[in-house]
Amino acid sequence: MSDELDRIRREMHAVLQQPGVRPDDSLQITRRTFIHRSLLFGAASVGQTFAWWPLLNTIDVAHAAEAPFKFAWISDTHLYERSLNTRFVDKVVRAVQEVQAMDPPADFLIFGGDLAQLGKIEELELGVELLKDLTIKKYYIPGEHDWYLDMGKKWGELFGQPNWTFDHKGVRFIGLDTVSRGPDYWTVKKMTPEERMGHMATLDGTVAGAWAGVGRDQLDWMQKTLADWDKSKPIVIFSHNPLYEYYPPWNFWVRDWREVNEVLKPYTKVTNIHGHVHQVLYNEIGSMRSIGMLATSWPWPYAPEGVPKLTKPMIRADPGDHYDGVGWETVNVNADDKVDVEYIMWGRKEVFVQSDPDSSLSQPEKLRPRMADNMWPY
Amino acid sequence: MTIRATVLGTLCRPSFVVAIAAVAVFVGPTSAHKAPHTPEQLKLYEDLLMEEVRKGDLLFHGDAATAKQMNVVLSTTGMACAMCHPMASDTHPQSYPKFQVETSKFATLRDMINWCIEKPNQGEKIEIDSEAMKALEAYIHWSNAGSVLVPGKH
Repeated sequence: MSDELDRIRREMHAVLQQPGVRPDDSLQITRRTFIHRSLLFGAASVGQTFAWWPLLNTIDVAHAAEAPFKFAWISDTHLYERSLNTRFVDKVVRAVQEVQAMDPPADFLIFGGDLAQLGKIEELELGVELLKDLTIKKYYIPGEHDWYLDMGKKWGELFGQPNWTFDHKGVRFIGLDTVSRGPDYWTVKKMTPEERMGHMATLDGTVAGAWAGVGRDQLDWMQKTLADWDKSKPIVIFSHNPLYEYYPPWNFWVRDWREVNEVLKPYTKVTNIHGHVHQVLYNEIGSMRSIGMLATSWPWPYAPEGVPKLTKPMIRADPGDHYDGVGWETVNVNADDKVDVEYIMWGRKEVFVQSDPDSSLSQPEKLRPRMADNMWPY
Repeated sequence: MTIRATVLGTLCRPSFVVAIAAVAVFVGPTSAHKAPHTPEQLKLYEDLLMEEVRKGDLLFHGDAATAKQMNVVLSTTGMACAMCHPMASDTHPQSYPKFQVETSKFATLRDMINWCIEKPNQGEKIEIDSEAMKALEAYIHWSNAGSVLVPGKH
């Protein structure tokens, strides 16, 4: 697996990391998102070099905002029915209360997918009920856990079109559906909807395969949507999965990242904000910045390989505290036309690791993919 | 060869127990360490390991049928081990035994498996030398094969 991943990464590097191409200089780094200074200036880096980097106090997604504003992000709530798991419910309630209490209020909320755990009607409706207490405008994109029980039927009834666009104070926002175009792994094997959902709901499953993708039709839609947008004006794209290749065995990517890059390449101020990974992530691909968001449900460890070198890892969560390692985010567009992503990790003042033992990456791992899900009867 | 064919044919089936008994009778253990290993024996040992790995993989991923069959309740919240540990990541079996902060004890991997069952998963802890424990341990070790032993590492 590693050889294949290395090959893909080399290809991605050759295709996307053109010499001298970086996100627009006017973009800086927020006080909550950090970057390795040596990489900023092109210094060589090999392997897992998340050594304790100098912190830049501002990253940013720049743009020409007409007025300062902020919005909030919640995702990956993975709700079961209330009778089965109350912890996940409690955490959604807390996130909703905190977003509602923002002062000044957020202009809108983005819900970044995986509202439900197993795509059940009861789970999706529970999510709607819990989020109802949040009175600001809400936009939803789907996650794979929302979709593969009934192929998005209930989700569509509740939330409408899975991809959308709107302009807000000088920024073009786009929501993408990166989950619904998975290759059909169920028909030939005569799976029930529950079996189909079960394979999709297993992050390290081997049956559902490379399901994450944008799709040619949606790429064409995005290209058309951006056609009238000035190439130097800011664009923020929301997706459930990251729009670059991080770790395909867990679908920490979209399989058509090349085509995504082709569409976005002409635009100089593109920021992708994504869920799915349940962890702090930061990357730059060509002129696009990419920021990974926390789940409210549970944190995932970093993948055994492929963690972007620009990511300052989040602190290793305490498994005894189900409020640790999870939370939500504010995205604050300030008066200087910068966007400041702030991780609200419950129970932690310091989101990022400060020393090696506090990182899940401190012990290198060599992992094998699971095997039992590919044996009889599948 | 008849025995081997029987064993291979019964992998993944309940009658696997019968095969293990057959192995005990026909190929060991009294003679196993006194004669050179045959390819058939080595294959058999590998198959026996992989059957444990298979069962452990299913338990680790919350397979209800396997849990019922082995009479264990590993979770009551819908959570499964693999939801925080995909591909048994971040389990670090190579780091045990070590002082475990969660239990304030010098702990083995089995101790930590039980802690995860009881606390995050809110399930019922299992016997330390039970079949389910051995299967879980087999899967976690197999999945992490290749990692370097670093006992005590945090």
